[in-house]
Amino acid sequence: MIGYRWVLFIALLVSFGLNANAQTFKTENGQAEFLSKASLLEFTGESDQLQGLIDLDKNLLDFYLDLNTLKTGVGLRDRHMRDNYLETKKFPFAEFTGEIEEGTEIPVGQTKNVTAKGKFKIHGVEREIVVPGTLKRNSANEMVLDASFKVLLEDYDIEIPRVVFYELAEEQEVTIHATLRR
Amino acid sequence: MNPKFFLKSLILTAVLVSAFSDFVFAQLERRLASETQEVELIFHAPRHLNLLTVEPLDEGTLHFAIMHTFGTIDSGIRNLYGIDNGANIQFSFEYAFSNKFSLGAARSSRDKFYNLFGRYHILKQTQDDKMPFSLSFMGAAGINTNDYGFLMENAPSASERSSFAAQLMVGRKFTDRISFQLSPTMAYFVDPRPEYFIQGSQNLYLALGFSGKFKITGKTSLTAQYIPNLNNDLRSNLGFGVDVEAGGHVFQMYFVTSPYLNEQYLLAGGNGVPGEEFRLGFNVNRVFATGKRR
Repeated sequence: MIGYRWVLFIALLVSFGLNANAQTFKTENGQAEFLSKASLLEFTGESDQLQGLIDLDKNLLDFYLDLNTLKTGVGLRDRHMRDNYLETKKFPFAEFTGEIEEGTEIPVGQTKNVTAKGKFKIHGVEREIVVPGTLKRNSANEMVLDASFKVLLEDYDIEIPRVVFYELAEEQEVTIHATLRR
Repeated sequence: MNPKFFLKSLILTAVLVSAFSDFVFAQLERRLASETQEVELIFHAPRHLNLLTVEPLDEGTLHFAIMHTFGTIDSGIRNLYGIDNGANIQFSFEYAFSNKFSLGAARSSRDKFYNLFGRYHILKQTQDDKMPFSLSFMGAAGINTNDYGFLMENAPSASERSSFAAQLMVGRKFTDRISFQLSPTMAYFVDPRPEYFIQGSQNLYLALGFSGKFKITGKTSLTAQYIPNLNNDLRSNLGFGVDVEAGGHVFQMYFVTSPYLNEQYLLAGGNGVPGEEFRLGFNVNRVFATGKRR
């Protein structure tokens, strides 16, 4: 029988080993922006409170944004966005959880084109998406992520009122930029 | 149980949990950026039928409302249900100096009445119900600029043409669909003359406004208002209609018993019999953002 001490020892080793080499990068102030490009009106909504985690060991990407922090520069439009379109009281977050298809090997000083594959959830609807982007390893402890993808509002049951067809684009361009630190 | 074994088990469990917690709790915990969210859009616009609401304006924005009430609908199809009888029109501009305070000016065609008003938002309802309602205050001072030359030396002076109003607004969004507002209101006419387009002859008018909104879709609501008078026997104001948001505008169409659109005149009578003497009312609300554009 393996003694209790041995089990404890191994568990401790595993625990320290994981923590010592943990390749977990995080941010709490990433930038997220959407661009609505309709025929007569173009506007953006921005937030600098994108929360994110990249774990290179487990090849895990996890990002979320409190949609209440998105600002389009017009207060009433923000309220309509929260109240009528995104329904942030019911669905406060936009979330992405996935992995990097090319693997997580990124030498310091290099920029790598990556493809993130995973689940994107907004307005209570979850869909598999593929997001192209770049990861730049500034140093052992810092990475910069840039990515952009398109969100078709219809896919997420976000209704566009027909009367105001010009106000909101059917397809929103989402761009994120985040500096993650270990 | 052997206490030593128990202790060992406990330590072992703790270490194992810490070792593997990374796998189990790998995702970030979803947390809201701000714990208390203010309740928004209790009403569609700063106006709800004829009354002002607790709905604030953002700092630096200008709210423009053009409001009409037509003739009574009992005049029939020949007069297109009162539309031919000409409208009482009010233009209203309100500018927000902060998220809590705004000043406005309005002009109604009946009695060529100019009204200056201010709104101050004292409390905001929050989603966690720590603050269960929004509270705002409105104060107004207006002057009747009609030509009373025919009264010769009896024509009213500027002060005799003046009237004032004060209103508290207590609003609450009960559910995503249902909002209510209670508005205790007073109006004071310095010299309520029969030549003015008012019915009452007293100086002070007290009333309690009820405003209700029932949201049908994200952009459309049924609306209602009832303003019973508290210190006189004048007929009370009753109205109901629909609010439609479209393209940054809020259109408000309603049936109402009064032709008046400002607080002073609303309280001083002139209401028709509900049902027979409803008037068609129509407001267009628009908010303009001023200052820097992002």
